[in-house]
Amino acid sequence: MNRVAKIEKIASYFPQTVLTNEHLSEVFSDWTADKIYSKTGIENRYIADENETALDLACHAAERLFSEHQVSHESIDYVIFCTQAPDYFLPTSACIIQDRLNINRSAGAVDINLGCSGFVYGLSLAKGLIESGQVNNVLLLTADTYTKFIHPMDKSVRTLFGDGAAATLISACNSDCPRISNFVFGTDGSGAKDLIVPVGGMRQPIRTEKDYEEVTDSSGNIRTQCNLFMNGANVLNFTLREVPKALDQILKKSGRDKEDYKFFVLHQANKFMLEALSKKLKVPKEKVPILMEDGGNTVSSTIPMALERMFDGKMLEPGDEVVFLGFGVGLSWAGCTVTI
Amino acid sequence: MKDLYSGIAEILEVPEDSVDASFDLANGEQEWDSMAVVSTIALVDNLYDVALDGVKLAECETVADIEKLIKENS
Repeated sequence: MNRVAKIEKIASYFPQTVLTNEHLSEVFSDWTADKIYSKTGIENRYIADENETALDLACHAAERLFSEHQVSHESIDYVIFCTQAPDYFLPTSACIIQDRLNINRSAGAVDINLGCSGFVYGLSLAKGLIESGQVNNVLLLTADTYTKFIHPMDKSVRTLFGDGAAATLISACNSDCPRISNFVFGTDGSGAKDLIVPVGGMRQPIRTEKDYEEVTDSSGNIRTQCNLFMNGANVLNFTLREVPKALDQILKKSGRDKEDYKFFVLHQANKFMLEALSKKLKVPKEKVPILMEDGGNTVSSTIPMALERMFDGKMLEPGDEVVFLGFGVGLSWAGCTVTI
Repeated sequence: MKDLYSGIAEILEVPEDSVDASFDLANGEQEWDSMAVVSTIALVDNLYDVALDGVKLAECETVADIEKLIKENS
């Protein structure tokens, strides 16, 4: 028997305000609510309040994990917080989370800045910490509030992204075989411009009124330099190019076939992309769950949220083998296999 | 090219038999906008395993222009 890391429990959290397709169809009059649903596979997105941050959402998710799964905050000895919307440039949000959740002062706490690949990266860090004997229980928090970056008249992103958080407990256990393994990673920073908030960081601080100047693109979407921009064509091409290669690498590492895995839990970008990917991966669509109807694309939280829904829906049993693949902003991607 | 024509008809929300090489992409019920371009990238990738550049695809005016772009990238 070896000491291995295992995903023990997951709990997610959405903010209260709901953005429906009906509301969006009033804003974007050329799209009906049905059309938005058929294109995106999304019914509702949840929107953080003005004073509610990703850190707040993450703490709510963690509190759900503690209360509904009988997890003691005292058992946590490391916090990894994955977000692209920290409360401050400094200090580290995970430090504030330690205090808010009353986690022991002997715990480690670190932020990681990644988007849609962030959950898989978080799992790999948690596995390393646990299997090297450094800690026993890692609280992996993923949370983002992309809607704060989105211009209300930018249909290309407003229809897709929602706010939310997930708390995942990864713990040490004794097992004959690894429970989280066969990691593959990938990075292509030349695509940084394809999914970006150009102004507001240290490279281009907000300096003048021009940064808030609204520009309308050829598809009629409006945004400023302080808003989220996504080049959908480039992101799709990147995904269709890199994700199949990443899956091949995972299969090669694991020495297994696609048929050996019950599900391929991919980052829930949108229904259209997941359907295109399942064709490209040559995986039956029944094995590629689309579980984003309620909540939309919540960035680094989509994989744990899908997993929580699969547990709730009794789609998974102990011993089932699944593949995770996250991909997006960076450009960054990562995948691994998990034994439930 | 039959599959390409029927796929483009579905994306632009027009009758299948109305799309051929000469079809003007601006004549669809659905605009030839970023959503239609992204949908066409996925269609072409699935049919021909060819990746099309979004900017060049957006500049296409007819289905024949798309067919030319596919050949150039094959």
